[in-house]
Amino acid sequence: MQDFSYQRPAALTAAIEAFEQAEDGRFLAGGQTLLPVMKHRLATPSDLIDLAGISDLEGISIAGSALSIGAMTTHARVASAAEVHDAIPALAKLAGCIGDPHVRNRGTLGGSIANNDPAADYPAAVAGLNATVYTDRRRIAGDDFFTGFFETALEEGELITRVEFPVAAAACYQKFDDPASGYAVVGVFVSRGSQGVRVAVTGATPCVFRMRDLEAALNRKFTPETVSGFCVPEEECNDDLHATAAYRSHLVGVMATRAVAAITDGEM
Amino acid sequence: MNTRAKTGTQSSVPVQGGVGQALAHDSGHLHVSGGALYTDDIPEPRNLLHVAIGTSAHPHAKLKKVDLAPVLAAPGVVAVLGAEDIPGENNFGPVLADDPIFSPGLVQYVGQSIFAVAAHSYTEARRAARLAKIDYELLEPILDPEEAVRRQSFVLPTETISRGDSRKALRKALHHLQGKLKLGGQDQFYLEGHIAMAVPREDGDMLVYSSTQHPGEIQHKVAHALGKTSKDIVVECRRMGGAFGGKESQPALFACIAALVAQQTGCAAKVRLDRDDDMIMTGKRHDFVVGYEVGFDDEGRIQGIEFEYAARCGMSADLSGAVNDRTMFHSDNAYFLENVTIVSHRCKTHTVSNTAFRGFGGPQGMYAIEYVVDEIARYLKLDPLAVRKTNFYGTDDRNVTPYEQTIEDNILHELVAQLEASGDYAERRSDIAEFNAASRFLKRGIALTPVKFGISFTATHLNQAGALLHVYTDGTVHLNHGGTEMGQGLFTKVSQVVAEELQIDIDRIKITASDTSKVPNASATAASSGSDLNGKAAQLAARTVKDRLREFAAEHFAVSADAVEFRNNRVQAGKQTVSFTELVNLAFFARVSLSSTGFYRTPKIHYDRKTFSGRPFYYYAYGAAIAEVVVDTLTGEYRVIRVDILHDCGKSLNPAIDLGQVEGGFVQGMGWLTGEELWWNDKGELKTHAPSTYKIPVCSDLPVDFRVQLLESAANREETIHRSKAVGEPPLMLALCVFHALKDAVAAAADYRASPHLDAPATPEAVLRAVDELRARGTAQPERQTG
Repeated sequence: MQDFSYQRPAALTAAIEAFEQAEDGRFLAGGQTLLPVMKHRLATPSDLIDLAGISDLEGISIAGSALSIGAMTTHARVASAAEVHDAIPALAKLAGCIGDPHVRNRGTLGGSIANNDPAADYPAAVAGLNATVYTDRRRIAGDDFFTGFFETALEEGELITRVEFPVAAAACYQKFDDPASGYAVVGVFVSRGSQGVRVAVTGATPCVFRMRDLEAALNRKFTPETVSGFCVPEEECNDDLHATAAYRSHLVGVMATRAVAAITDGEM
Repeated sequence: MNTRAKTGTQSSVPVQGGVGQALAHDSGHLHVSGGALYTDDIPEPRNLLHVAIGTSAHPHAKLKKVDLAPVLAAPGVVAVLGAEDIPGENNFGPVLADDPIFSPGLVQYVGQSIFAVAAHSYTEARRAARLAKIDYELLEPILDPEEAVRRQSFVLPTETISRGDSRKALRKALHHLQGKLKLGGQDQFYLEGHIAMAVPREDGDMLVYSSTQHPGEIQHKVAHALGKTSKDIVVECRRMGGAFGGKESQPALFACIAALVAQQTGCAAKVRLDRDDDMIMTGKRHDFVVGYEVGFDDEGRIQGIEFEYAARCGMSADLSGAVNDRTMFHSDNAYFLENVTIVSHRCKTHTVSNTAFRGFGGPQGMYAIEYVVDEIARYLKLDPLAVRKTNFYGTDDRNVTPYEQTIEDNILHELVAQLEASGDYAERRSDIAEFNAASRFLKRGIALTPVKFGISFTATHLNQAGALLHVYTDGTVHLNHGGTEMGQGLFTKVSQVVAEELQIDIDRIKITASDTSKVPNASATAASSGSDLNGKAAQLAARTVKDRLREFAAEHFAVSADAVEFRNNRVQAGKQTVSFTELVNLAFFARVSLSSTGFYRTPKIHYDRKTFSGRPFYYYAYGAAIAEVVVDTLTGEYRVIRVDILHDCGKSLNPAIDLGQVEGGFVQGMGWLTGEELWWNDKGELKTHAPSTYKIPVCSDLPVDFRVQLLESAANREETIHRSKAVGEPPLMLALCVFHALKDAVAAAADYRASPHLDAPATPEAVLRAVDELRARGTAQPERQTG
């Protein structure tokens, strides 16, 4: 194992202070990506600052018309929490289909979106529900948060504290998962709320994105048939050992159609 | 559980653990409690060194300069070895000398061994291995079998089996089809990876613990590499955590490296691969491209057929000769091919050398013929099962294989009829047609496929086995034989044979590790032959001791030898009865030998490799299976709804273990044909080298409704051990029914108007591609639906 110092502060301020003092610090959330990455020597931080001791970062609450989830809340907790099931059942379902039980019991919301893996599930919910990401210094709109392949709007040392998901009238996440890893080959999150329809796609391309032309069409006519005129061109899709670009392009249409159909049928 | 009453000749209570009893695996309680010792669990000797292997980063290159100084200088490193450090032969290839232990200057696949580094810890060794500075002169690689055929790049000469005049028959036939099939390879994915530990003994001798199906070959290869002889080397293996053919020839590399390090340093040395290295460095099932042409009549009866196989053998011959021979031998599966030509190219590619895997080439040959038969049926708009039956081997005529073996034990007609009835084939087929007519996106499919699999090593001389049996004075037995235990239950079955023979309870018999110093020159535990060969050898060893005891008892109790009967832990001599232990004690004091070897060779078989003719197989194992699947034609995803299997184990030695082999073999075959996809990039690198990218079937992938039965009252017509039949490999090929049920469901997506083109593995993406391609052939639904 490589050398690094491990710290487990009990307060947010202490975590930030530890980060500032470290030569090359990294915050550790659930560790489901960071630890494997370190094992492969793709990251060699001098300091790991474990956020698990900061109770303020964990928890689920309803704040007005939004659901607030702490950055350190595990996928398993989101999947099973009554508040989430009541407010945004699609979000509970999404959390419940991430990876496997091991990953769900360790992995966290904040860790997932900070990493922004192109095949991760949560980015689709953040973009698809117009969530707001709160950090130690500001709030970032979900649309502005994911900026590219494994890239986010977070600044050096900036720490996600919680994410606020507006409660949508209806939402659905449809995922085609890789049979070996459980990652999304393609995942489509569709929501329909007071501000209209949102369609966010993960897995298909290097970064989560919204299908705005499809959203506009669905705002006019929210039916599964509407989806058939829209697609993500093959040239824009990832092509790798998990699936060809053509297959991903096709799956976006199928998953989006299914999500719209499920909302129309009232099955979420 | 299908338990079968023991059919003893006496009315007395049967001995505990005799043949036919559904006993649990002898190590079951150890497997589940962690008490079973695998090679890595053996206590490590003092000063053990851990070894890592430095490997090639390119598929085809000359090694211009290999600078290992930084490796040697790394912390904890004790020794670094390359090709020039091998005192003996630099080869671990089982047949030809084309598998160097360390590359002598040319590398031919990504992952090929170049050097080894030994260090005080596993991590130190692995870290050091990465520090080598290697200058490569890159050469052009050949990465796929078709390219190899174009360039005439072969590891072994092309072979042909032919009978009759296939050209003429094709010309004359009423109907004619041709096509090209692709089918993927498969990683063995044993749970225990490759491992070997070498322990130096006095005077240059070496003890090698190896996770191997073939301790004898490890002994030979290690001896050759060290410049020693067989008498100097002992190889031991108590059990493997799965092998599936992947530990037939492949373990020799790691055993040789461990032994070389041990020889050079004087310290014990262990080579243990992690999963990624294991998948990258070691051979797999051959992937194939198959061209075919077939001519047939209105009923689908095949009149002439030609196959041209191109198998990816990889960079060396390994076992590819015999593997591809078996592909040719199983190109008939259950069908009489009167006019046939089978051409087999053994392609050399710059990828890992492919090797044995459960079925040993047979599955690929059966895949090809089953595909062709299905194509004929779809062309003629007949039920594929009807065309299969039309082409079945006859019992009295149409019963000679292309390699001139007369099939004397054909039970397919009855077996298939029984399964067809018990599995409601006809009824379900019509239900499915009805379902499909009313279902827009979900389509169901059904298929029944047969299996006929030849039992024996095709190299006749390998069909021999030895056993060693000691009876101690307390009436307990030490049993050893040349077979190896890989989880398949061989040791349990052989113990049952001995319990039955000596008429003692099985808990009196100790099963011991395979050991080249106890039973010499044993063949690999392979070709499904473990119980057939070693069961007979152990039975003969037990019989020898028993005959001595009988003779002694006759004399001692003054009765005729015929009046001495061994029955349920007791021995009756005329009117007197003693316990088995008492008799053993009496015999000991009378100075009767209580130890014996046993030796068996399979009768009747003979075979001429030059003409591909003779009787390579002692007998055939049969089976059949029905699969029903449902396919989502929007994504290509599917579920296997129901599977019915009827399999022939002869008179099963152990119905519990045989049932497990049938279930496991089927599921492994299903993995090969559906989800398991090996994916290489254009640099010749295997990118699916861990469970995160390579998906083997798990419990949740089992058929929802899984009905598995062993064929009742099906004694082997040959005099095999208690009339049982080999069961290791044949069930794997039952899974062809899943592939064909998927093909049937895809055909339904275009109302059965044409036959789909589906390659294996039939991943969801491949299934969707087949749906699209079929619809694009200008039939009913030209546009793909997305909603």
